[in-house]
Amino acid sequence: MPHDLNYYLATLAVYFLVYCVLTLGLNITFGMAGIFDFSYITFMAIGAYFAGVAVLPPSNQPGLQWILGLNLGFPLDLLIGAAAAGVMGLLIGLLAIRRIRSDYLAMVLVAVWTIAWSVTSNMIGLFNGQQGLIGVPQPFETQLGVNPNDYVFVFIPIAAVVLAILFTVAYCIERSPFGRALRATREDQDVAAAFGKRTVRLRLTAMTIGCLYAGVAGALTIEFLSAMSPNAWAIVETVIIFSALIVGGRGNVFGAVLGALLVRIVIIEGTGLLPTLPDHPELIGATRNILIGLLVIAVLYFRPQGVIPERRRRYFEARKPAADTSQEVAKGG
Amino acid sequence: MELFLNSIGFGLVTASILALAAVGLTLQFGMTNYVNFAYGDFMTLGAYLTWTLNVGLGWPFWPALFVGALLMAIPVLFISQFVLEPFTRRSGPTFHILIVTFAVSLILSNLILAIWGGDFQNYNVGTDTPINLGPFILSVQQLGIIALAVTCMVAIHLLLTRTKLGKAMRAISDDKNLAAVTGIDTRRITTIVWVLSGMLAGLAGGVLALNVASFDPNVGVTFLFVIFAAVVFGGIGRPYGAMAGALVIGLVVEVSAVFIPSAYKLDVAFLVLMGVLLVRPAGLMSLFERG
Amino acid sequence: MAEPLLSVTEVVHAYGGVQAVNGCTFEVPEGVICGLIGPNGAGKTTLVDVVAGALHLQRGTVRYAGADVGGWSPDRLARAGLIRTFQLSREFRQLTVLENLLVAATGRIDESLAGALFRRRQIAVAERALVKEARGLLEIFGLDPLRNDLAVTLSGGQKRLLELARAVMAHPRLLLLDEPMAGINPALMGLLEAHIRRLNSQGITFLMVEHNLGVVDRMCEPVVVMAEGKALAVGSMADHRASDAVVTAYLGRGRPA
Ligand SMILES: Nc1ncnc2c1ncn2[C@@H]1O[C@H](COP(=O)(O)OP(=O)(O)O)[C@@H](O)[C@H]1O
Ligand SMILES: [Mg+2]
Repeated sequence: MPHDLNYYLATLAVYFLVYCVLTLGLNITFGMAGIFDFSYITFMAIGAYFAGVAVLPPSNQPGLQWILGLNLGFPLDLLIGAAAAGVMGLLIGLLAIRRIRSDYLAMVLVAVWTIAWSVTSNMIGLFNGQQGLIGVPQPFETQLGVNPNDYVFVFIPIAAVVLAILFTVAYCIERSPFGRALRATREDQDVAAAFGKRTVRLRLTAMTIGCLYAGVAGALTIEFLSAMSPNAWAIVETVIIFSALIVGGRGNVFGAVLGALLVRIVIIEGTGLLPTLPDHPELIGATRNILIGLLVIAVLYFRPQGVIPERRRRYFEARKPAADTSQEVAKGG
Repeated sequence: MELFLNSIGFGLVTASILALAAVGLTLQFGMTNYVNFAYGDFMTLGAYLTWTLNVGLGWPFWPALFVGALLMAIPVLFISQFVLEPFTRRSGPTFHILIVTFAVSLILSNLILAIWGGDFQNYNVGTDTPINLGPFILSVQQLGIIALAVTCMVAIHLLLTRTKLGKAMRAISDDKNLAAVTGIDTRRITTIVWVLSGMLAGLAGGVLALNVASFDPNVGVTFLFVIFAAVVFGGIGRPYGAMAGALVIGLVVEVSAVFIPSAYKLDVAFLVLMGVLLVRPAGLMSLFERG
Repeated sequence: MAEPLLSVTEVVHAYGGVQAVNGCTFEVPEGVICGLIGPNGAGKTTLVDVVAGALHLQRGTVRYAGADVGGWSPDRLARAGLIRTFQLSREFRQLTVLENLLVAATGRIDESLAGALFRRRQIAVAERALVKEARGLLEIFGLDPLRNDLAVTLSGGQKRLLELARAVMAHPRLLLLDEPMAGINPALMGLLEAHIRRLNSQGITFLMVEHNLGVVDRMCEPVVVMAEGKALAVGSMADHRASDAVVTAYLGRGRPA
């Protein structure tokens, strides 16, 4: 029994760590750069599939068909998954980052998801169609020879290290002139351009970084679960990640982490603890999504900046308002 | 050749469903100037209300459809007045309202799932006899769908051109502020159009479910982006553009199924949608207009 | 001086069928505060947009600092020192007042992704200098106490000041101001006027669209009069008052002169 509980909590920890990667990535694309990437979950899937076919051997039988099959190990598969997602993100970005209204952009990007989903589901030879990739070897599985029930304790440090790196990167971006420029383009692209910002390049970079994050999250997902199929990346997943970020606080790395905690762990796992009605197995999933929907509406209404709002940074100021007398200089031209 | 002609027949049916849905969506956009991403779930709700009347209470299909569409007024009024309206009144960033419509979609689709369950359902319509009409073979029900769409389009045309309400709608769609200044009660008209939009969604959802024979809670959402394609093709916010877009997209989708695997036929619509939005967001119809 | 800093020749811009700018020609020598006046709808804002690259140059030429800049993007022009303000204030709403200024200092701090990750120390040094300069400017404009407030919370007049301070922070060579005095109270107007004169004396050239002819009279030389998309006359305000054509096109409409 204690082992079961430990196992359950450890699995939760993995889900949380992976979800943080997702919200942190979306925080750069949407939170900082303001790009409505409603195809976000697609890039998670691309990362997962490419990491999967990087690890798997070449497919050799009907019913188990996929491209590549490179037989590589961790962390190369993760890098390949992330790179594939990043490249796709860049290409879609080139297509989509135009000056069109955000709702039109949302339509284009949802259309991207739809096409990707339909192609993946229907072209069996790509990633094994509706059934998806299965039996993907886990990192260090063979080398360590751990009991499958204990594998989760191997994976936690892997996911934690990856998240630590990505969190640091996101943190640096948030506090950098680059991040400030992204936020300026989010507020007003015309004005940012009028002050010399290369807005298209900035937005493309933000889109690509976000997709890289999504790709890493996908790679981690398939490495942990050993499987990935189209059912795992329905469009509603994108809505839920957006909800998590908005609830936690967009534009703030800690907000992104808090959103992952509140939505992925508290709501999604919390509703999972509800008693199941035998005749209505779908009620739990429905309750969970209804709660998420209500929560995001409530947050947008009562606290639109999210629980942890974007940081209002003070530059080089002592905490106490110290007397500052050396400010006569005004350099004009 | 026979296949091709037949696909045109199906195309006309799809176009009819699309037209009902697209006009409802575009009229609402004209009033509020934002896209309602929950519209697909409005359609699903209409399909299930009709199902309850038809199968649950044993009504014939068509009366059930009309009453189901009328009932749509209640949830749509609630959503537009108590959920969306507070955000539009506050005029925060545009993405707020967009996210809210996505959240409404999440809530509505899962309420439908909770109430009606996730199983596939059918209407109780009895067996249907195919009829040969020149080159086309269509069922009586499909002819009914076409007749309904044509009737509704004519009614909408008359509404827009012959009534005070329609003229006010066009004025708001052209320039909301100007319309308000000239004494039009924009709030009231917008509310009426929400109801109209919800009813059209209800009709469209019902006939869509009828046409696909068996349906589940995803029926509306899978069709939503085909509707977007039709709406955008004709220029969003323009009812006549939506009608034309519905005709073109409906035909393109069904005819393309002759040449490519039919699993991809909806993707053709999405390609059109992306192409139009990226090349000419004002809609292809705007190429044919002056000024 | 060989060539004027800005020369606009036979520039045309039409919105659909509306010929907003219709063959406009004039020059702005370096070092002046050039006024641009004309009745509503004369095409002044459109011209500013075209010169700043925000609108496509449909016909004609725009030369700036010795180069033919027709077809340049707004960001490229900005990096070349051509900065503009907007007729309606457009601050970066969810950035602080100080950050609004820091953003404007394009090219003086590493804004790359690589820099964000690997050159943080150099960036901190550069940023310290920028903050010092920005706070100096804010101090002058009386906005320093508000530096950590979100720009969206400022009053209309404060936004006007911020707009100018931000433009100055970009180290412009030519600054296009679109109605900087619109909708602000007389006291603030005097303040803005003084700021603009001071900046001009520090070497910034101005092209200023303004409706308040009193202000234009005091500050601008030369003054370009635009009507129906064309530059009707160029000269001092005194010349214009003496010109029948200008008076009927504009001054005769009962505006205070
Ligand atoms: N975005 C636009 N679309 C269509 N017409 C416009 C647009 N902006 C301005 N105009 C028209 O162009 C003309 C010039 O406008 P503008 O440049 O704003 O003049 P000014 O700044 O001198 O008042 C006016 O007739 C105006 O109605
Ligand atoms: Mg103007």
